Amino acid sequence: MSALDCQRGRTRKISKWLPSALCAVLLVSAAARADDAAQFTASVDRNEIGLDETVRLDLTLTVASKNDAGDLQVPQFRDFDVVGRSTSEQVSFAINNGAPSFKRTTVTSLTLSPHRAGNLTIEAARVNIRGGTINAQPITVRVLPAGQAAPPRRQGQAQQQQQIDPFAALDPFANHTLDPFAGVHAAKAGDYTLKASVDNDHPFVGQQVTYSLWLLARGSVSSIDKLELPKMDGFWTEEVEAPTQLVGEARVIDGVQMQLFLLRKRALFPLRAGKTTVDPAEVEVVSGMGMLFSRSAVKRSSQSIPLEVQPLPPGAPAGFDPGNVGSWSLSATAEPLSATVGQPVTLHLVATGRGNLRDLQLPKLPAISGLRAYDATTTDKAAIDHGQAGGTRTVEQLLVPERTGELEIPALAMELFDPTAHEYRTLRTQPIHLAVSPGTGAQGGSPQQAQNLLAAGGLRPIRLKLRPASIGAPPWTQPWFWPALVLPPALLLLGLGAVRAQRTLSSDPGQQRVKLAASAARRRLRGAEQLLARQKSGDGKGIEFYAEIARALSGYLGDKQSISVAGLTRDELSLELAARGHSQVTIDKLISLLDACDQARFAPGASSAAAQEAVLQRADAVLAALDGAKEEAA
Amino acid sequence: MRTKRLIVIGIVLCATALRAAPDAVLSDRLFDDANAAFLAGDLARATAAYQALLEEGVASVELETNLGAALSRQNKRGAAALHLERALFLAPGDDDARADLTELRHSNVDRLEGDQEESGPDALFRFFAPLPGTAAALILLVAWSIACALVGVRLFSPTLSAHPAIVTSSWIAISLALLCGLVTAASAAAHKVALQRAVVIAESAPAREGPQARAASSFEVHEGTLVRIEEEQAGFARIRLQNGLVGWVALGAVEHVVPPRWTDR
Repeated sequence: MSALDCQRGRTRKISKWLPSALCAVLLVSAAARADDAAQFTASVDRNEIGLDETVRLDLTLTVASKNDAGDLQVPQFRDFDVVGRSTSEQVSFAINNGAPSFKRTTVTSLTLSPHRAGNLTIEAARVNIRGGTINAQPITVRVLPAGQAAPPRRQGQAQQQQQIDPFAALDPFANHTLDPFAGVHAAKAGDYTLKASVDNDHPFVGQQVTYSLWLLARGSVSSIDKLELPKMDGFWTEEVEAPTQLVGEARVIDGVQMQLFLLRKRALFPLRAGKTTVDPAEVEVVSGMGMLFSRSAVKRSSQSIPLEVQPLPPGAPAGFDPGNVGSWSLSATAEPLSATVGQPVTLHLVATGRGNLRDLQLPKLPAISGLRAYDATTTDKAAIDHGQAGGTRTVEQLLVPERTGELEIPALAMELFDPTAHEYRTLRTQPIHLAVSPGTGAQGGSPQQAQNLLAAGGLRPIRLKLRPASIGAPPWTQPWFWPALVLPPALLLLGLGAVRAQRTLSSDPGQQRVKLAASAARRRLRGAEQLLARQKSGDGKGIEFYAEIARALSGYLGDKQSISVAGLTRDELSLELAARGHSQVTIDKLISLLDACDQARFAPGASSAAAQEAVLQRADAVLAALDGAKEEAA
Repeated sequence: MRTKRLIVIGIVLCATALRAAPDAVLSDRLFDDANAAFLAGDLARATAAYQALLEEGVASVELETNLGAALSRQNKRGAAALHLERALFLAPGDDDARADLTELRHSNVDRLEGDQEESGPDALFRFFAPLPGTAAALILLVAWSIACALVGVRLFSPTLSAHPAIVTSSWIAISLALLCGLVTAASAAAHKVALQRAVVIAESAPAREGPQARAASSFEVHEGTLVRIEEEQAGFARIRLQNGLVGWVALGAVEHVVPPRWTDR
């Protein structure tokens, strides 16, 4: 075979395969376009039924073009009989950012009756649209013998959502949704029924409650106007789902085919414990299609929903913040882990999970010796995950090492309450070790900067040597202290007193007599006075009186003046007294008095009491004059 | 005879030392364990070991300071402040305890406004507590006795009264006695204030206008705040803050800096 033949043969092969390839490309592109523009899904209302029951298969086709009707191809079911079929259609038109948006949703509901018990597969349906084909997924249904199937736990969208949601089993709240249409009957429902529901009517403070607002319609719904949600006083709220287009799902109530629309879904976080009520919502439903004059609007209100918010259980750990309720994880990272002095290190503290992100309190970094910390910045990234509010809170803090060596960012702990587990938990990060080395030094001739800044502060290192301290009451509180303090001066005073007494006792008797002369003379005069008194009463003699006066005067002269009256004449006595400085008048009076006493003693006669009193007064006066003159002379 | 007396004295001293030695060894071992736990980051175990030493009756500046640091790291500010204050009572000049206390008070909830932070009795305590009161009191007794004796000699002995040595000695003794008397008086005043000092150990406590639980609350104090207990009645203590605020708080909310076992109270 020549090279030309080979070339021709290759050309023929290409010309033979080219149309087929082009067709394949066109078909794939058409299918891709069909996939882009349309969505086709299949779902069942129950995954487990009895042999004597039916299962409803909903085939939902959503297209974004008026002209794409689509051709639904229902397979021949090997294990099921089709016992009922209905079709509903929902059309919506909206303008988003100035661009018109059209969506047509067609739901074909097939009621299937199983042939046998066991795990049966509902074969995949398909739809041909715009030259392409979209296949729905096959669905497996467990069929139990007749009479053994459990009653349906959930209905409507919740059941559908659980079936198509691979994470629904992880949702702690999924099984708690309270069915808002549990007590609704078709006969009483009317054309439009607005119902609100919560997934938990006994939440803890801070735990999410999902509030949903549903519209159940028997007739057609064109649009929703004036949707007024209740004021959520006492709750922190987050939007979970706010459909911009009405997409209904078929629902059979009492054998009547109806459409169910989700109007709004919100996450509520109760702020305080106690009984509270979510007020009714109001909505205006516009019905009718096409012509404006055929449209009509009706108002509907939902029911109010009582809630009993439980306080957080007792036993909260120290440092627990009431805002930390939910399911969170905590991590800390620093970057870089090796730095030079003065080089910033960024600490990232990240909390991720479910709960009220806005109220979450992350632990604060304590003061770290050797690390200067700057103000932290907080970044929140809210997210809705399977209907649960949550997200990520990131705290970034700039740390600047100020000394060399190994620095440790300690483990940070966050206390939280997990409402799912009904328990408090402590999240801890790992300690982070930074290696800090000296910087490169000064540049451009500038002075050398300190590389190892050793700032004061922080707790001191502990002591390792135990030295017992002496404790006890101080000396001044002891009972012996004050007596011991008073004792020395007391002894001193005692000694002084003793010395003085001793001196007093050992002095000259003559001096004693001199000191006591005046008082001795006065005592004698008082004795004479008593004698005079006895004499007046008839019990005494005048001679004794005068003798006592004479003894008083002579005794005084003897003791005080050292003059012996008995051995002197009156002239000698006068001279002696004059020599001692006494006045002549006093001397004369003394001598006169002595003479009078001698005369009365030695020549007794009648002596009146008055005369004796006069003598006594004269004696007092003379004694006073003598003693006074003596002291003056002294 | 003299040898026998020395032997008896030696036996008595050895017996006393042997009886005290096991306690000291055990205390040191427990203290070492507590320090090891502290350094390993096991603060709860360290705190328990330090407190066990306290219950054994050990009084030590190092023990109180380390316990204060361990409690401080666990953010138990009230108890930490209490033990650091106790360390300062045992050794008023201890630098570590004072620095830790200063660091701890930076994070106190209560900030006092009004008068300066330390005034009156608290300033008195701060200035006079470091004085060596016990030594001064003992020296006072000796110097006072010597001074009285020398005065007596001068009074009773005319021949020695003018002797320069006697005169100088008597003046020195009198001056020393006066100085020690002043120091003792200041220390006694500071000691009196120290016995009133207390720390709020409850996380928070309402200060009421009277010693009743239903009395109106005029303000609230928080852990770590230093107060003086002026009076106790019916389970309540009348406290005075450093800026003069006065109120009644539950007795359990405050604790004396000086525990009763350290004094004869």
